[in-house]
Amino acid sequence: MVTDRTAPGETTALATEVEGLLSPEEPDGVFRDTRKCVDGLLALGLILISPPTPRPKTHS
Amino acid sequence: MAEQTQGAVALSAVIADAATGVALALQGGGDPYALSRILRQDDPLAPAAVRVLGADALAPYALEHRAAPGGADDEAVVRQTLAAYPPGADASAVSAWSYRGLVEASHAYLPVGDQPWPRPPKAGSDWIGTDPWPKLAHRVSQLAALALPGLAADLADQLAARTDDLARGFVRAVRRRDWLQAAGVGRWLARLPDVPPTLGLDAGLAFVRQMGGADPRVALHVVAARRFHGRGW
Repeated sequence: MVTDRTAPGETTALATEVEGLLSPEEPDGVFRDTRKCVDGLLALGLILISPPTPRPKTHS
Repeated sequence: MAEQTQGAVALSAVIADAATGVALALQGGGDPYALSRILRQDDPLAPAAVRVLGADALAPYALEHRAAPGGADDEAVVRQTLAAYPPGADASAVSAWSYRGLVEASHAYLPVGDQPWPRPPKAGSDWIGTDPWPKLAHRVSQLAALALPGLAADLADQLAARTDDLARGFVRAVRRRDWLQAAGVGRWLARLPDVPPTLGLDAGLAFVRQMGGADPRVALHVVAARRFHGRGW
């Protein structure tokens, strides 16, 4: 038979600890969603392959 | 602060010991399982550890409860846990679902005794349909104990609609080397039908065990997936 030997203060602290262990935050990390990145990569590719800005010709 | 950290370490150690005992019992090793045997009965941390493990604390009875039902000592530990750590009004959805899982498992695997078990409380399920997939996978991994057969049937039905998202979450967790999350999500995927075969769940679970099996809770999830659902090597 388990007997409860914890003081009320300790029980509150334990309850908080238990809640924390039940649903801890996910550790930080960088993760990119490929589907979201596709648009960015496409835009970058278009910029790279686009022709240079036309400039007025100079006649010396 | 130092005392709190020390307390957290002590609780984590009790949880790890209990998880090791449950995993061993699921593998068929050792003496016949009794929850009151794997926890020191005079340990004030025992109910807290049972609350964190949730339904997994009674998982071996899902295998053998007909032959060897839980005894009065186990019933006392679980009743004390349910009374001491109910989810508060501001508790997280995980806490509410985990508590519900323990109540359901008590109904299923433990004798009723003099008092009836409390009714499984309601737990919100809006997040299942609305969470983005990384968050969903993280949350579902924390509810891995509810993947025991017969528990949380409504949760399983709703998660089945997001099997692909959970499969993505499994891969993400493996790539992040978050073995506890990967094991938890993998255990749920082992229960769900229609898991994409291209995921390679069996090999994935074996890999997670190889890499993260030193953590008793990771080992417990992988062993449970194998024992109850036949997934993983």
